[in-house]
Amino acid sequence: MPATDYQASFLGRISIRRNQVIAMDGNHEQELQDLELFSKHVSERFAELLSSPDDIPFDALLSISWLRKLLDFFLCCEAEFKGVLMMGNDPSQISKPPLDRLIPEFLDRSVKALDVCNAVTNGLESVRHYQQLAEIVVSALEQKPIGDGQSRRAKKALTSLMSAMNVDDKECSAAKATERSWSFSRRGVSSKDRVPEHFRSVSNQVAKNWSAAKQIQAMTNNLVPPRGAEGSGLASPVYTMSVIMVFVMWALVAAIPCQERNGLSAIHFPAPKQLNWAQSIIGLHEKIGEEWKKKEKKGTAGLLDEMQKMEKLGNILMDFTDSFQFHGDITDQKAEEAAARSAELAETCRRMEEGLLPLQIQIREVFHRIVKTRTELLNALDRVGKSSPPLL
Amino acid sequence: MDECQSAIPAHDGDLHVVAAAHHIVKALGTTKNLSDDLRKILIDLDAHLSLITSNIDSKGGKGFVEVEERLKRVERKIVIWESDRIMIWDSGPKEVSDYLEAVDEVQTLIDSLRGLSMNENQKQKELLHRASSLLQMAMSRLEEELIHMLVKHKQQSEPTYMPSPSSQRNVVYNESVVSLDNESAKEASSKSSRSDECGEYIVDLVPEHVIPDIKSIAKVMFASDYGQEFCEAFIGVRKEALEQHFDILENGKLSIEDVLKMEWCSLSTEMNKWTWSMKIIFRVYLMSEKRLCDQVLGEFGSVNSFCFLEIAKTTILCLLNFGEAIAMGPQEPEKLLRLLDMYETLADLVLDIDALFSEDGGSFVRLEFHKLLEGLADSVKAAFNTFRVAVSSNGSLYPFPGGGVHPLSKYVMNYISMFPDYSSTLNLLLEDQHSDVASLVSEPQCGPTASLSTSCPMACHLRSITSSLESNLHKKSKLYKDEALQHIFLMNNLHYMVQKVKGSELRPFFGDEWIRKHNAKFQQHEMNYERVTWSSVVLLLKDDNPGSSSLSKSAFKEKCKGFSIAFEEVYKNQTSWCIPDPQLREDLRISTSLKVVHAYRTFLGRNPAHVDDKCIKHTVEDVEKLLLDLFEGSPRSLRNSRRMMKT
Repeated sequence: MPATDYQASFLGRISIRRNQVIAMDGNHEQELQDLELFSKHVSERFAELLSSPDDIPFDALLSISWLRKLLDFFLCCEAEFKGVLMMGNDPSQISKPPLDRLIPEFLDRSVKALDVCNAVTNGLESVRHYQQLAEIVVSALEQKPIGDGQSRRAKKALTSLMSAMNVDDKECSAAKATERSWSFSRRGVSSKDRVPEHFRSVSNQVAKNWSAAKQIQAMTNNLVPPRGAEGSGLASPVYTMSVIMVFVMWALVAAIPCQERNGLSAIHFPAPKQLNWAQSIIGLHEKIGEEWKKKEKKGTAGLLDEMQKMEKLGNILMDFTDSFQFHGDITDQKAEEAAARSAELAETCRRMEEGLLPLQIQIREVFHRIVKTRTELLNALDRVGKSSPPLL
Repeated sequence: MDECQSAIPAHDGDLHVVAAAHHIVKALGTTKNLSDDLRKILIDLDAHLSLITSNIDSKGGKGFVEVEERLKRVERKIVIWESDRIMIWDSGPKEVSDYLEAVDEVQTLIDSLRGLSMNENQKQKELLHRASSLLQMAMSRLEEELIHMLVKHKQQSEPTYMPSPSSQRNVVYNESVVSLDNESAKEASSKSSRSDECGEYIVDLVPEHVIPDIKSIAKVMFASDYGQEFCEAFIGVRKEALEQHFDILENGKLSIEDVLKMEWCSLSTEMNKWTWSMKIIFRVYLMSEKRLCDQVLGEFGSVNSFCFLEIAKTTILCLLNFGEAIAMGPQEPEKLLRLLDMYETLADLVLDIDALFSEDGGSFVRLEFHKLLEGLADSVKAAFNTFRVAVSSNGSLYPFPGGGVHPLSKYVMNYISMFPDYSSTLNLLLEDQHSDVASLVSEPQCGPTASLSTSCPMACHLRSITSSLESNLHKKSKLYKDEALQHIFLMNNLHYMVQKVKGSELRPFFGDEWIRKHNAKFQQHEMNYERVTWSSVVLLLKDDNPGSSSLSKSAFKEKCKGFSIAFEEVYKNQTSWCIPDPQLREDLRISTSLKVVHAYRTFLGRNPAHVDDKCIKHTVEDVEKLLLDLFEGSPRSLRNSRRMMKT
């Protein structure tokens, strides 16, 4: 993993630097170099994410592996940020203007990010559920020869899958999407193609009125690029890290089913293009924003590449099962095509099987890292003695 | 079964052997005392042998006739239910076993048809499709039956064992050390949910008699390769049931932001609820759920732990997140007890959690809870430290009126008197900070000769807290201008501390040595008080000329007047002072009386000639009586009362 490499070299650098600091106290030049290096690394990392080729499915924008890379980079940037902010520098700086205002704001953002992490972790449970339904479709269709039974089996699972994706998207914020009438008289509907309503979806983990989009919108509050003299000081890494944090959370929410995402595309990043490191982030924001606008029209569950693929394949296979039932049988050519699609679906499921749990674990890692940094910053503020009452 | 199929004879001549075998199997099947397993094997064998026969027949062209016949028979049995509104399992055991038999038969037919080589035989293909459709129909039906069964029985099993969360919410120690000066300290003691350990108690989430039914559906669905559908349905219903139980426990769904912003009072309630919910969810529901999964799915490989994890995960994440939010919050001193509750609960459960999620897939859950336990341990330590800091740094601008027991003393002593309940946890968590504190507390108890209870980490920490309290009280005593009142204040508070230690479970942690020492301390202040207040007064009565027998009248009058003025001054001041403990007040009055009344009586006795009403404002009896008004906390003045008496 690139993360460990970055971290190793980074930590090495820090320890050398600390020695230097002891040797030549208050070396401003060193600090400037650090800041430069930090923003250079940020811009390199995000440029790599932006250049992810769409044609290689494994690394495509917003695929599981892409998100994992994004989180890896987040962790790297975060470690480096903390180093720049807290090591070697005059510790009292964080309690002086403008940091005395910027750090509390940053901590406030961190807490909001934690709630987003939790919402996304929960959303991944839904994605795992889609995976399980898709696996039933695959099981049904990989049998040879495909007959009416297999087609019906696939159709039933597909219907559950599609409506699950749809419900999670539309009604995440509504009361339980799981309210069903099966407790009495399930036999009410007695058509041959009776399909039980899907019955697992995102259960709200937080209060009903919690909204991922609003949460991210709130994270952008007070987020303005440092101006004038501030631009060369520690205000700039705080700003950079804030933008990264907001962007990462925003991307996660766009990709993974989450409670209440209306207005996600309207969130504006106050990142000026002339800032070198920001260009790739702006690029990514625009690209994903475009996708999201399309999504809002189509109504998909999320931009996660694997999920979009699942949805596309699901629709094709649904047509296939429909026509199967209409005609009673199917041409060899169609059967072959269905087999190919089903194989693609199997591949998507396999990638989810491999990637979802590690992604979930990584989100927890991000969570714990944010908590840790927050604690360290609060402690540092405390030590400096000018700790304002706990801001959050 | 596969072996049976691979053994399909290639030669017509084998037909006789097959027929003979078939005959034997049928004969064996009629034996009465066969075990179920054996009977099943024989039925399978029977089916296979008859298929082999038909396969051999099929080479003649019409061999699938028997298969088709059998398919038609089961088709009727299965299709008939499609138009029926009644659930099969509600209809009766006969219907159930007929249906299950029919499904078994379809599966057997499919297996056998598949087992035959697919040599472009249209008839065979058609039969296979028909059988598969039939199977799908049956599986769909079974899934519905399963859901119906789970939902129906889940609701019946709910209320019998549901504990009421409200009975668990005990008194909460809601005071904050910061707001002490304005608040009267309540002597509320609380130790929530100590006595109500719910223990391990597994319940039937689904009534015992339904399990075989669920299992029978599982068996046939897994046998037909519909295990995924079974799990999907099973997980869906059980997960929802668990979430309902969780909702009943009244856990507010809170974001971390909410938790961090929450008022202490509501937060304390939420923390109690979490503690309770953790026990109920893990010890009762998840234990029971695990057993249910094992009962139903135990024989199908690792699928039971997979289903269990899927059912439990979102509920667990909810509990985890609240714990995390608490662990990251600012650790104010008042949180300490609730944090200890949370820590102890989780520490108690951690082995169960490891057992429940022992498989690979559950490592995520295990790891997260271990992390949370560490986080809570750190929080306890942090809260303990902020408590200690708060005790030593709690400052006041004004002297505490009356010199009574300061709220800080009450708060601290009442608070720490609850620590012994948590002694093993606190000993464990405070271990690493032990040496620092042990060296701070110079009490002999921390030395090598000390007994176990007085030398444990908690004991040393407790004594370090009370010594912080003492030094803080000394600081506070300096706010009094009157030196005598300083001593009263310290006497009161030290006495209070000693009483609290003696009368609670704190005693073994402080030890007799500490008590002796602190008894001596407050007694010293008592003596100092007497010295400071009364020595000068008594001195007024002293014989300047010890040789002579009596004073001149004017000197006597002078001395009397001086004594009255001084006495009235003390009276005026010290009636407003306060010694809340009646015994202590009594003791002090007696010793004051002894000193003052005795001196006064002696003085008057030595000058009997001058004793008349005009000279003596207060008789000995007056003085004795008036001394009883001291330290009652209600200011009085003698001059006023005199004037009132005269008018």
